[in-house]
Amino acid sequence: MGNSVLEEKGFIIDLSNTVTTEQLVSELGSILELPEIKNKAVCLKLGNIDLKQSQLLSIKALIESMESSIQSVVTSSDVTKLSAESLNLKITEVVEMPQNTEESHIEPQEQIKTDFIEKNENHVNDIVENEITGQLEEITEIIPMSESNFQSLAKKEGLIDESSLKYVPLDTQDVIENEIEEKSDATDKLPTLYMTQTLRSGQTLNYNGNVIIIGDAHPGSEIIANGDITVWGVLGGIVHAGANGNTSAKIRALKFNAIQIRIAGLYARRNDTINVPFVQKTSEFTPEEARIDNKQIVIYKTIRRD
Amino acid sequence: MTGRVIVITSGKGGVGKTTTSANIGTALAKAGNKVVLIDTDIGLRNLDLLLGLENRIVYTIVDVVEERCKLKQALVKDKKNPNLALLAAAQTRDKSAVTQEQLKDICEELKKKYDFILLDCPAGIEQGFQNAVAGATEAIVVTTPEMSAVRDADRIIGLLEAREEIESYKLLLNRVRPNLIKENDMMSVEDVVEILSCKLIGIIPEDTGIITSTNKGEPIVNVEKSLAGQAYRNVAQRIMGEDVPFLELDKQENAIIAKIKGIFAKLKGKV
Repeated sequence: MGNSVLEEKGFIIDLSNTVTTEQLVSELGSILELPEIKNKAVCLKLGNIDLKQSQLLSIKALIESMESSIQSVVTSSDVTKLSAESLNLKITEVVEMPQNTEESHIEPQEQIKTDFIEKNENHVNDIVENEITGQLEEITEIIPMSESNFQSLAKKEGLIDESSLKYVPLDTQDVIENEIEEKSDATDKLPTLYMTQTLRSGQTLNYNGNVIIIGDAHPGSEIIANGDITVWGVLGGIVHAGANGNTSAKIRALKFNAIQIRIAGLYARRNDTINVPFVQKTSEFTPEEARIDNKQIVIYKTIRRD
Repeated sequence: MTGRVIVITSGKGGVGKTTTSANIGTALAKAGNKVVLIDTDIGLRNLDLLLGLENRIVYTIVDVVEERCKLKQALVKDKKNPNLALLAAAQTRDKSAVTQEQLKDICEELKKKYDFILLDCPAGIEQGFQNAVAGATEAIVVTTPEMSAVRDADRIIGLLEAREEIESYKLLLNRVRPNLIKENDMMSVEDVVEILSCKLIGIIPEDTGIITSTNKGEPIVNVEKSLAGQAYRNVAQRIMGEDVPFLELDKQENAIIAKIKGIFAKLKGKV
């Protein structure tokens, strides 16, 4: 599926992964079925696909039929650029991501913004008083999004200021060191429990430290740890990292399918509209990591393109 | 002789534990094994009904435990198959009437004389379940392709894993409807096996014949033509260590659908 990220004013439709026009049309069709698409200024990301004027025109008509308009087109194809110019559409240049030469098949860490979470600052660091009934904002769909493009567009739209965004390639040594300096309560000083077993419904794991599970955490299971929680598998149960209030704790899994994740005094819940009773296992899982960023739980995801 | 003690459990009620117990027990006995079925669902006994033995029960498991009779006296022989015996549950008592130790002792004694001891477990994870599991060394987890049943089975497998005496557990998928799976309205067999990451011992298709067989007190394995009966016979053979391929439910369903479609096509042609 194409990737789209919902923002208040603009809507980005990312079709840069598509290779053929058929793929593009089917993905666009599936995105346009979303109810949120109405009345939006759409940024269309088309990658390097060649679109003729007539094709682009029909896409434009399709988007306008949803009472939205194309704000700008991101493309690296000259043919598409010409078509877009002839239709008086604004063209945004593609911002190339810096490539890591050593691990060329792994794309740098990219950021997904999710809305969510408890806004009340007083509740941070205070799990006991953290009420489940606290104010919530809807979680929007957790869908990956290339950060560079998100940044360029979002800045243009005035949706974000640059200081709130960080580009964090996790495999770089100096960044990790910086993080430790920033946070004195780094979880790597804690002991780690290593488990090669799938946690089933009703099984709970409480540990004063980090937890690594090689296996799945099935729905109905519960993991509570004072440090990080890493699940090498599908995470379907409830997890609470940094349960003693450690806001630098992180949750990692090959696939997040949890109905709820908690870090320190914050919790994020799955969107009501995403009702996936179970996850089909594929070879295409991409590791995800949740951590607290700016008093919000943010899920980061590496995007694989091979 | 040391028999194998197998508990048939599910967590959720109504998925077919008792039906499975009755049918596997009958099929094993038909194959020449000496089998005892123990109904551990004290207070809500059903297994005797399914076997059509309700009128023959004199002593129950509670009578054995409270030493009002000998174990041998409480075993009810099946109408048709002398290899099959039933140790019925008491209907007038509750789960607390028997303890784990007492059930273990009964199983130990029966092991000496029988090849298979099948324990029909009550729904739930409370004392009744704990009792039934206490005597067993193997388990069959019955589930249906519904999310609630699968979740409960997951919970049960977790509890079985935690028990040292259970050496192996296998999954039996009941009430499978291939036409629903095909239309993506039901979880497929592969889905369930993947969710539970558990070895499969049988796939039983949904069969309306089960209802009539339950009411009649005649296990469906005795009905030669029934697909569910065949599936249960296959399960029994797998328990005995034979390598029997799973029924291809899809194909059978296809053939039927194809027939019906053929008939409809003919009718249309005539009109």
